[in-house]
Amino acid sequence: MIDKESVREGFQRISKKIDENKERLIELDRQNGDGDLGISMSDGFHAACEFLEKTEEKRLTQLFSQAGNAFNEAAPSSLGTILSFFMKGIAKDLKGKESCSTKEMASAMQAGIQNVMEKAGSKAGEKTILDALVPAVHALESNEDAPWMAAAQAAAEGSEATRQMKAVWGRAAYYGEQSIGILDGGSYVGALIFQALSEGKGERANGKL
Amino acid sequence: MKKIINDPKNYVDEAMEGIVAAYGDRVAFFENDKRVLVRAGKKKEGKVGIVTGGGFGHLPLFLGYVGEGMLDACVVGNVFASPSYTKMEAGIRAADAGAGVLCLYGNYGGDKMNFRQAMEDCADLEDIRCEELLGTDDIASAPAEKMDTRRGVAGIVFAYKIAGAAADEMRSLDEVISVTKKALGNIRTMGVALTPCVVPEAGGPTFFIGEEEMEVGMGIHGEKGISTSKIMTADEITDMIIDKIGEELPLLAGSEISVMVNGLGATSLEEQMIVYRRIAQIMEEKGVTIVAPHIGEYATSMEMAGISISVFVLDEELKKLLLAPAATPFYTNISR
Repeated sequence: MIDKESVREGFQRISKKIDENKERLIELDRQNGDGDLGISMSDGFHAACEFLEKTEEKRLTQLFSQAGNAFNEAAPSSLGTILSFFMKGIAKDLKGKESCSTKEMASAMQAGIQNVMEKAGSKAGEKTILDALVPAVHALESNEDAPWMAAAQAAAEGSEATRQMKAVWGRAAYYGEQSIGILDGGSYVGALIFQALSEGKGERANGKL
Repeated sequence: MKKIINDPKNYVDEAMEGIVAAYGDRVAFFENDKRVLVRAGKKKEGKVGIVTGGGFGHLPLFLGYVGEGMLDACVVGNVFASPSYTKMEAGIRAADAGAGVLCLYGNYGGDKMNFRQAMEDCADLEDIRCEELLGTDDIASAPAEKMDTRRGVAGIVFAYKIAGAAADEMRSLDEVISVTKKALGNIRTMGVALTPCVVPEAGGPTFFIGEEEMEVGMGIHGEKGISTSKIMTADEITDMIIDKIGEELPLLAGSEISVMVNGLGATSLEEQMIVYRRIAQIMEEKGVTIVAPHIGEYATSMEMAGISISVFVLDEELKKLLLAPAATPFYTNISR
């Protein structure tokens, strides 16, 4: 079961993973952005973790919603905003719950993706974080055994596939055709998130975050 | 590039501190947040709240119109960057006085997604009825059949005036929306840019305009316009813009309009007056009456040189609301 404790652990693992890859993210973003990706993601997840550490709240909706708010305040970049929309969408789908199954989390994450697509007007195939999130959540939904591992694998492959795509959003879009061949930093963040979640030390099989 | 600043990191906050230091009798920070500016004093219960927001670097837009007869709250981002939705939520909460809130802002991607998340949260969690209307007055930013993708520029100030006056008359949210929608449909803007602007943290211009050239229809963040052309005379520029606007708005003999000649930041008031003189001549020839001309800096792009012209076609109701009193730090209208 996924509850407050596992959500907190999950966020901490992601935060650690982002910090370990900070330089790599900065480097990726420098290719066609302003290089602040590693810093803003690190700040965002630290803020979300800090909230989850302190709060007395147990309801999953409030936890994800307020973690999203803390993240947005600390990382108001486009990618930061998109990720908080992901969290807000998850939050809304888990109303009234203090715990949920992996299946329920998968469908909440699907709602998170919907919220991102609706608010940002983007979709998979446009060289963004969605190219990691969409296949990852699909894998999470459709794999009974080791769903988190399958999700991590799908996210990594999805991110890798952005090399072949042409950017249509943000500063990267100015580079048009020249963006082909470059790995999208946002999708790399998506891959890191699911990689961190899958490294739940053998817990992935029973669906713990 | 020379600027009179301290640390570029503090550009927005220090300017905001200056605004409240200067106009503290009329505006204040909401809950000590330097990015959420509200009217000073008590809220009027039962009045529809009008909220706007957007990136910094366009003063007096957007926050300069917070005050009596216009806006209730304005949410301020970094230079040319949308505020976060959590700030927008604060702005909506600040403006809510029990009758619902209208978010009236320019059609930009970042502002749109953040306002929409904030409106959803305020409706879900705070039970505030929130509606939105977008400024899309820049005719150079997309063809007429793609109206909903056009950017909002200086003409939104007219919409603030109409929405604010209607709300101050204690009209309902639906009534405020309906009259503001009518106003937005009657406002068109187009401009030319002569020099680029510099984002303080970037330190140098992010786009270039040739010495003998001007950008026709350039956006207020340097977005590409219709064309690059050789610099023209004031009369040629004015004729070109009024012609383009005339393709979309009826400038008929006997009708009444208001006009805004807006300096983009580094264009003198003298130049603006030369442009206005030509507009007055054209309208006189057409038999169109200009009501309450607005000439000056209403929506700038820091030190960009250039002008925009907005035309607002009036009817009796819109004229009355346009002429209603207003008192904000950058817009004062005493009853005529």
